[in-house]
Amino acid sequence: MSRMDGRSGAGKLAIFIVQTLIALTFLYPLFFMMQNSLKTRPAYYTNPFNLPVAPLQFANFSAMVSQFKILLLFRNTLIVCLGTLALLILLGILSSYAFAKLRFRWSQPVYLAIVITLFIPAQVTMIPMYVQFARIGLVNSFGGVVLAYLAQFIPEVVMLMTANFRSIPNEIIEASEIDGANYWDVVRHVILPTGRAAIFLTVIFYFIVMWNDLFIPMVLLQKMDMRTVMVALASLIARYTGDPPYQFAGLLLSAIPAIAVYVVFQQYIIKGLTAGAIK
Amino acid sequence: MSPMIARARNTRRRTRQRQAILSILPVVLVLLAIRAYPIVFAAAKSVTNWNGLYTSDYVGFANYARLLKGEVFWTLVRNNFVLLLNVPIQVFLGLVVAVLLHERVWGWRFFRSLYYVPQIISAVIIGYLFRTLFSMDGPINIVLARIGLMPEALEWLGNTATALGVIVFCLVWSSVGWQAIVFMGGLSAIPESVFEAARIDGAGFWRRTFQVAVPMIVRVVEYAVMLSVVWTFTGLFPFIFSLTRGGPGYETTTLDYMIYLRSFVSGVNLGEACAIAMLLLLIILALTVVEMKATNSMDDWSE
Repeated sequence: MSRMDGRSGAGKLAIFIVQTLIALTFLYPLFFMMQNSLKTRPAYYTNPFNLPVAPLQFANFSAMVSQFKILLLFRNTLIVCLGTLALLILLGILSSYAFAKLRFRWSQPVYLAIVITLFIPAQVTMIPMYVQFARIGLVNSFGGVVLAYLAQFIPEVVMLMTANFRSIPNEIIEASEIDGANYWDVVRHVILPTGRAAIFLTVIFYFIVMWNDLFIPMVLLQKMDMRTVMVALASLIARYTGDPPYQFAGLLLSAIPAIAVYVVFQQYIIKGLTAGAIK
Repeated sequence: MSPMIARARNTRRRTRQRQAILSILPVVLVLLAIRAYPIVFAAAKSVTNWNGLYTSDYVGFANYARLLKGEVFWTLVRNNFVLLLNVPIQVFLGLVVAVLLHERVWGWRFFRSLYYVPQIISAVIIGYLFRTLFSMDGPINIVLARIGLMPEALEWLGNTATALGVIVFCLVWSSVGWQAIVFMGGLSAIPESVFEAARIDGAGFWRRTFQVAVPMIVRVVEYAVMLSVVWTFTGLFPFIFSLTRGGPGYETTTLDYMIYLRSFVSGVNLGEACAIAMLLLLIILALTVVEMKATNSMDDWSE
């Protein structure tokens, strides 16, 4: 029996209407930003609720590219994201394989200790980390941000992957070991293919998280041409409070990559959230 | 068992052990160096007058005493607790939205994806958007003036109460979708017959939500509440930075934002920043313990 049975059409319609209204409270602010990014500053102050009239002002967007150098900022953010993801995946797979499949002494306490670091906020460790990093040249270096992110996210990744790898049958691993497979063969031919759902979820989810993050790169990257997109946006926006259309263009452009990833891969993210695998 | 097989097994076990240790070693080293060591370091520096360079004399608990006696610290604590208001609101709305979605009425998948969009947009972007919406000459004031509710423009982000209110509103707006999806995960584990029976018994929407669904997903609600509470103490930095910069004065500064101010921006005092960091860590630890205790006692009660 479908869950619709026993529900009146009026009830369904009411729920649909309520959901549409809720949807509008999420959509309208974004639409407001979009329509005003296509206006001139005076047009915005005359009436921010009007649709933009022709000619549309793409000048705000082209200024973002030519003056604000948003593509350079995208590149910087991408370097940090890809570097961190590569390490998160590599170290995540190896350690989760050990926790899930290789029985060893102290496995439980070590796992717990790793997970507990989840509760340490980035702000608490930032000053000592900054001082350490400054000493070894990791301030104003992408490597520093990558390391900081790695330490921040690896506990969650280990939790996610260990839970996933546990469901791989021991027999497959044993069978391939009898066939002469060594450690790396097992990782490549058993763990990688059977655990790809968890690995893929890690990549898309943490890409979005890092793309949007402010605190760590803001502290560690102070050089103008090394900043990530959110760091640059945060300082730019504060200087242009009198020009919302210009701000909106920057806000919209910098939101696009994360939203694009979400639009394409949303079912994986929602599945991961529903299962409590990510937060 | 022949001694040869036993030896072979032993060797294999030892190989496993070695492989396991090498597998987890990089993660352990990274966490020791970048997460554990800094805490010890910050704890040690919190009892000094460290300025980041050479001055670092032991001053006992002077930093803590100054903080706890001063007014600013208690303003920060007040702000954190006022902002905690976002948790019951987003949990309540998240439950309502989850039950609505759970009816699986036409288009529910689309709505579910849409409600999550604010989580995909950076808090920096959301913060600046809301700052513009609530600015003096912004759209909120324009609408309120047009419908005659408020003849004079209100400086939303310039007054303590309204500024904190705007931040709470912004946090709720950006998190409801997350709550709804997490709760839907819990709801989908409840057999449909339970809802069916409640419906036949004449239970309306609100009773089905709060008297049938919620008790069955207590665990999931607890999980969501705990994450949101900890998040309110540790994750607001980008929102505060883009909405108010902690102002006016320290009226919307939270503990985690203050660590940033004292470390890098104004009234820089690294010893004090470390002391605040330690207090924040203590608060989070205490909250986690309280939450775990509460969870346990609730289990006893339900069994």
